Amino acid sequence: MSIFEYNGSALVAMVGKNCFAIASDRRLGVQLQTVATDFQRVFKIHDRLYIGLSGLATDAQTMYQKLVFRHKLYQLREERDMKPQTFASLVSALLYEKRFGPFFCQPVIAGLGDNDEPFICTMDCLGAKELAKDFVVSGTASESLYGACESMYKPDMEPEELFETISQALLSSVDRDCLSGWGGYVLLVTPTEVQEKILKGRMD
Amino acid sequence: MLLLLFRLSFLSFFPSLSLSQHFAPTGTKPHHRISVSLNFKQRKQREEKRRMMMKLDTSGLESFSAAVPSAMAAAEDQLFAPPSFDLPAGCADFDKFQMEAKQTLKHAKGTTTLAFIFNQGVIVAADSRASMGGYISSQSVKKIIEINPYMLGTMAGGAADCQFWHRNLGIKCRLHELANKRRISVTGASKLLANILYSYRGMGLSIGTMIAGWDEKGPGLYYVDSEGGRLKGNRFSVGSGSPYAYGVLDNGYRPDMTVDEAHELARRAIYHATFRDGASGGVVSVYHVGPNGWKKLSGDDVSELHYKYYPVQPTPVEHEMVDAPPA
Repeated sequence: MSIFEYNGSALVAMVGKNCFAIASDRRLGVQLQTVATDFQRVFKIHDRLYIGLSGLATDAQTMYQKLVFRHKLYQLREERDMKPQTFASLVSALLYEKRFGPFFCQPVIAGLGDNDEPFICTMDCLGAKELAKDFVVSGTASESLYGACESMYKPDMEPEELFETISQALLSSVDRDCLSGWGGYVLLVTPTEVQEKILKGRMD
Repeated sequence: MLLLLFRLSFLSFFPSLSLSQHFAPTGTKPHHRISVSLNFKQRKQREEKRRMMMKLDTSGLESFSAAVPSAMAAAEDQLFAPPSFDLPAGCADFDKFQMEAKQTLKHAKGTTTLAFIFNQGVIVAADSRASMGGYISSQSVKKIIEINPYMLGTMAGGAADCQFWHRNLGIKCRLHELANKRRISVTGASKLLANILYSYRGMGLSIGTMIAGWDEKGPGLYYVDSEGGRLKGNRFSVGSGSPYAYGVLDNGYRPDMTVDEAHELARRAIYHATFRDGASGGVVSVYHVGPNGWKKLSGDDVSELHYKYYPVQPTPVEHEMVDAPPA
């Protein structure tokens, strides 16, 4: 098994009408053995910007700590929060700094930019940005996720419908993956509120 | 060269078939009671003759075809001999090809199966997930194979290998019944399978199976694997989830359980293995083998079992938005 499949993960982010949702599974494993079923993969940078990190869990945690540090410095200097597009460039640069000894993680960035415009993007472990208007996926279940999202996604969904869609896509995809699942975690962000939900999924 | 190996190492473990006695040479002829004085040379010749007539009965060791006229032998040979497979065409270095093939098909025996003997018979249980690396190819695989109405086999390792060889074993067991007018014992069936797997040792078969049944001596349980190993025992668990299943099984096992208690123990053990092991999941099937044969006790979805054993607790909510009460 490759290093990206050591811990197992599944991440997906989707865009709706002036809102976005980012969802992950909750399993932390050591190859086939499940060690935890409440592992956090989606982290808050500021109220309107979230990052999910799939791949090797230790690299995901370290990457998150480095990014929080850089963002806090930015806040002190600029006296404001980072825009999602700027943040994506920051992540990309940090990953490419380690070009010949990379972090084994694949980020999914989701945020609300100017005029409450939702922004999502994903990157490979070396920092190649991939912007998308509809959805982005990452993790060991990514192939199943692509299929599920492609068939279930509709543009301009309201928050409730977006939540249903992303949950169904996540749960049905991780049910086809040995290394991810054991519950789900969905974060739904609109200009006025943030909803965190834990999904009841198959625990095998 | 390899094809010859199949023939040489195949040992027939059939008890001497009644048909062969018509054809094998019989013992010595009865002597006439005349007092004859023989000189040394004549006595020696007579002794030699007697030794030649007193042949050892090796009908149990040679293959059936040697003792039977050729017309039947050709048909029987196909049934009794282990199936021989054609070498792949256009392959210059077969050994290297075989090493590569073994590497490609390296199965991790991703599954959980268990079986144990208790006072009321044998319980056999398994999950139902088939995985190809990280991908789940099926959640509804039948891993408990019904060899005949009183014997079960479990599947772990390569699915094709297990299915094929269990069916082959079922055929051999039925032929044994027809030839001997009695059922084969669990010992005999497991030995048949173990010998065949031994002859294919090193060729990349991946099978970790348990043969469970009820014969004249009572309940029987054997573990047989593709390395040629065969073990008799009371409790076994096979597969990547077996350490987790052993933990629950060994803790709760008592020989004097009732059938219901044993059923619940097996179900719980497999459930815990599916929770911890990524390569096990789907549906837990539990079978019971009693004096009248096997019976399927249950097939429960593992996810439903989880929420039955660990119901969701409503979490205390820290901040909840509520509408302001009307003034």
